[in-house]
Amino acid sequence: MEHELMNIKNNAVSLILDAKTIDELEEIRIQFLGRSGTLTQTMKEITRLPKQERPEIGKLANETKKIIEDALSQRIETLSQQKVSLRAKKLDVTEPGVRPPLGHLHLITQAIEEITTIFSNLGFTKVRYPEIEWDYYAFSAVNFPENHPARDDWETFFIRQEPHPKKGPVILTPHTTSGQVREMEKGILPIKMLNLSKCYRRQSDVSHTQMFHQFEGLVVGEGISITHLKGTLDYFVKSYFGPSRVSRIRPYHFQFTEPSFEVDVSCGVCNGTGTLKQVQGDKEVSVPCRLCKEGWLEMGGSGMVHPNVLKYGGIDPKKYTGFAFGWGVERVLMMKEGIEIDDLRLLYSNNLEFLEQF
Amino acid sequence: MNVKILDSWLREYLKTDAKPKEIAKDLSLTSVSIERTEKWNDDLLYDIEVTTNRPDLMSVVGLAREASAVLPQFGKKAMFAAPPIDVISNEVRNLQGISRRDAPRNDKVKLEIINNPELVNRVCAVVMEVTVKPSPQQIKDRLESSDIRSLNNLIDITNYVMRTIGHPAHVFDFDRLRTDKLIIRESKKGEEIETLDGKKHILQGGDIVADDGKGRIVDLMGIMGLENSVVTDQTKRILFFIDNNDPVKMRKTSISLGIRSEAAQLNEKGIDPELALDALSYGIHLYEKFADGKIISEIIDIYPKKPQPKIITVAEKTLEKVIGVHISEKKIVEILTALNLNPRVTLGRNEVSPKADEVTTPESEDPDKAQARMTKMIKCTVPTYRRDLTIPEDLIEEIARIYGYHNLPSVLPPLVSEEPLQVSHDPFFWETRLKHMLKYWGFTEVYTYSMVSEELLEGPLNEAVILKNPLDADHVYMRRTLVPSLLQVIHENKAYDIVNIFEIANVYEKNGEDLPKEHRILAGIVKRTNVSFYDVKGIVEQLGNDLGIMFSFKVAKESVGADVHIEKEKIGTIEELDDEIVDFELSFEKIAAHATLKKKFIPLAKYPPIVEDLTVEISEEISTGEIIEIIKKQSPLIRRVTLLDKYKNRRTFHIIYQSDEKSLTTEDIAEIRKKITASLQNPKRHS
Repeated sequence: MEHELMNIKNNAVSLILDAKTIDELEEIRIQFLGRSGTLTQTMKEITRLPKQERPEIGKLANETKKIIEDALSQRIETLSQQKVSLRAKKLDVTEPGVRPPLGHLHLITQAIEEITTIFSNLGFTKVRYPEIEWDYYAFSAVNFPENHPARDDWETFFIRQEPHPKKGPVILTPHTTSGQVREMEKGILPIKMLNLSKCYRRQSDVSHTQMFHQFEGLVVGEGISITHLKGTLDYFVKSYFGPSRVSRIRPYHFQFTEPSFEVDVSCGVCNGTGTLKQVQGDKEVSVPCRLCKEGWLEMGGSGMVHPNVLKYGGIDPKKYTGFAFGWGVERVLMMKEGIEIDDLRLLYSNNLEFLEQF
Repeated sequence: MNVKILDSWLREYLKTDAKPKEIAKDLSLTSVSIERTEKWNDDLLYDIEVTTNRPDLMSVVGLAREASAVLPQFGKKAMFAAPPIDVISNEVRNLQGISRRDAPRNDKVKLEIINNPELVNRVCAVVMEVTVKPSPQQIKDRLESSDIRSLNNLIDITNYVMRTIGHPAHVFDFDRLRTDKLIIRESKKGEEIETLDGKKHILQGGDIVADDGKGRIVDLMGIMGLENSVVTDQTKRILFFIDNNDPVKMRKTSISLGIRSEAAQLNEKGIDPELALDALSYGIHLYEKFADGKIISEIIDIYPKKPQPKIITVAEKTLEKVIGVHISEKKIVEILTALNLNPRVTLGRNEVSPKADEVTTPESEDPDKAQARMTKMIKCTVPTYRRDLTIPEDLIEEIARIYGYHNLPSVLPPLVSEEPLQVSHDPFFWETRLKHMLKYWGFTEVYTYSMVSEELLEGPLNEAVILKNPLDADHVYMRRTLVPSLLQVIHENKAYDIVNIFEIANVYEKNGEDLPKEHRILAGIVKRTNVSFYDVKGIVEQLGNDLGIMFSFKVAKESVGADVHIEKEKIGTIEELDDEIVDFELSFEKIAAHATLKKKFIPLAKYPPIVEDLTVEISEEISTGEIIEIIKKQSPLIRRVTLLDKYKNRRTFHIIYQSDEKSLTTEDIAEIRKKITASLQNPKRHS
């Protein structure tokens, strides 16, 4: 009996789903639920079953009947709706829509994707190198002298592990510059690399987190000059911050480049003027811009690859030249108009109220 | 390192018609960054950022000299008015004679200094009678505007000398020294001192100290004076002392004791020892003028390490190659001369290697070509205060910066890689795609720290990658899994009943003596009431569907959940933690390796399918996967079987029948249905 009921249900439901008209559905109803319909007949037979089986089968029969009835009414509704769909309906358009799910990518990911797209457009290839690195690649091979302060254990994280006889201690890479000599060691020229990675330094305050992200550009080939660095930089600044922003380079000092430059971007808040107009009483006065220094924001370091670094990478500095830059992802993100987050640590606090804003 | 200097003070050594704003802007573009100019009474204060390689610019004289080289490039008149120190030095020499320890003289006061040339490059010293009193207003103003507290004339003069000349200076109360003897030595571990600010320190050993010959330390040299020998308002006689110390030792002592005095910060950068006698002479001059000073000892000048003049040569062609534009010889010479680099231009062989396609043998080279290979060489002699200049590239920087980076054009680099781009082999491509997939399924991405606390570290402690010098206890171990960090995020956002989060990041695995291995992992958590294993399994399945990967799932042995496999390899897990939280952690690397952009076309069906829902009664012991396999086996016309509903021992399957040859009829299906029902009466379990 149980099987019979199940068969009836399976048959009825597949016929109902197949029905194309309301008339067809009526026929199906009569076929199963009518006075002499299959289900009706089967139900009559229940009384002939042994007493103890009756309640269980009775329940199942009722369920079957209900399923068929529901399937019928649902199908009727579907078919009749198709008919009325063209009729003018009264809508309350102020009611909320039914929204598909939408999550949020982290601000850092959003910045990384934008940066990557810009440099891909210039033909840079994205790479990734170890976050846990030999001192050699992070410092020695990029021309840091033995006693440079950055190598102190109050600035760089060290790993508890025996130093390598040649490559020195194991550290958490403090900058993406570690990727320079690794890239050169591949032995393929020209190089046009974008290395984007997590970096680590022993510092934590409103503008520093122990873990942060840098992106490093490295271009090495014949005839690469300062003018190419300026060109790349301008392209990035106008692409990332907007066409009205301008960049400049100033003398600076880094171990791995010579000459070295600090890169500035014109301030987006005061348009590079360094002052803002403010209404005080009924007068308009000029006040210094809070965000920038005299109209400029510092973006990070860059320079022409130091000949020693090329030598470490097995490249002849007499024949080839190159430029490099390494900038903080968090830094360029903060320099975008509208983002001005007052405490960088918020980025890694994973407060959902914060993350769901973006 | 920042230094603040009053405009009027700078102009004592810089004669120029440039306005303060112009000086600030022009120096910022070519030399040091002048971050701000602010009003200071009737004067103007420059706030100057000096890079660590240019300690020579940490002084008024150094800045004036630099500005005099820069400003004419911007069309302004500028002249460096050097202080008359040479005159003073010569006077001092004539008056007292420069004496060494081996030539004692009949002076009123004798002082013996025993130097260790390993530690100290030069010591200049003199004993003077003085009167202690307040400094004149101008000195007070100049120091205080420069963030140096004015105390009394004796101390102020040391600071004033340091700021003017650029060499730190120290003054002792000569009568408090008691022994007429100073021995310069390294400290021993555990020795105790009290610095003049009243703080006590225990030395680590290896610090440069001055000992009075009886074991008492009287100076922490180059860093800070000591309480036991500092001048007081009772001081009558001073020892004015200029010490040029080993910069590495300076930094070590300064950092380990946490004494970041201005002298320490200067000394650790390496100060030109040639300045030491200038500093002494200028100090003597100031003590005479403002402290009724009278010299009562010989002038001591111990100078074991005199720097040799350096010569650097750069080829004009190299210069042009690096800068990217041609700069005339006249201009180059003008710039280098302004920087006191004494340039000489000669003709020499080009050090630039020929391009690969221009290789010629020396015998076949014609004289014209050989001539063409000759290039102008620019040879410079570097003044001792420019210890930062050592290689040809340093000269290129000097020329380029003074010429003005703003005068160079912007050109996009020409090089393009010939390597073909293989998108489907690019892990970054898949990473972006995965992140976006999860975002549009309602997941929020988090970034948690790679370093975790002991509590969040999974696996045995002794196999962990551990930081030697963590900043705090929450960030000590390099993590091996991501889920604990994500659980913490859930914990920290308790107010949220529904949370979907994920992260893609590296985990770290100890690897013997080699660098630890880094594996990229995708992990996520779904939190909501009555969430099930199947909610998360579905996410993983759909992820596979989008990337063209077939995952299989096996019962997990150690938890409630499943191991996720690609082919035979385990690549991750899904884990039901409770009825509110289910997590997943998958190897991103394996996913990226198997993900594919390949698509296969299956010809479209010619005949319509028949669809039915079939309810069967079957033991709960038999898995749905097994039942589906059994059903599928019953006929090749069964195209797809999916579970629709499950209640106790009854399961309803959605079955699609389709033929490539004809339109199926209800009768065709009835046959198959019978077979299905029969096969499930007594199912054989798959192994």
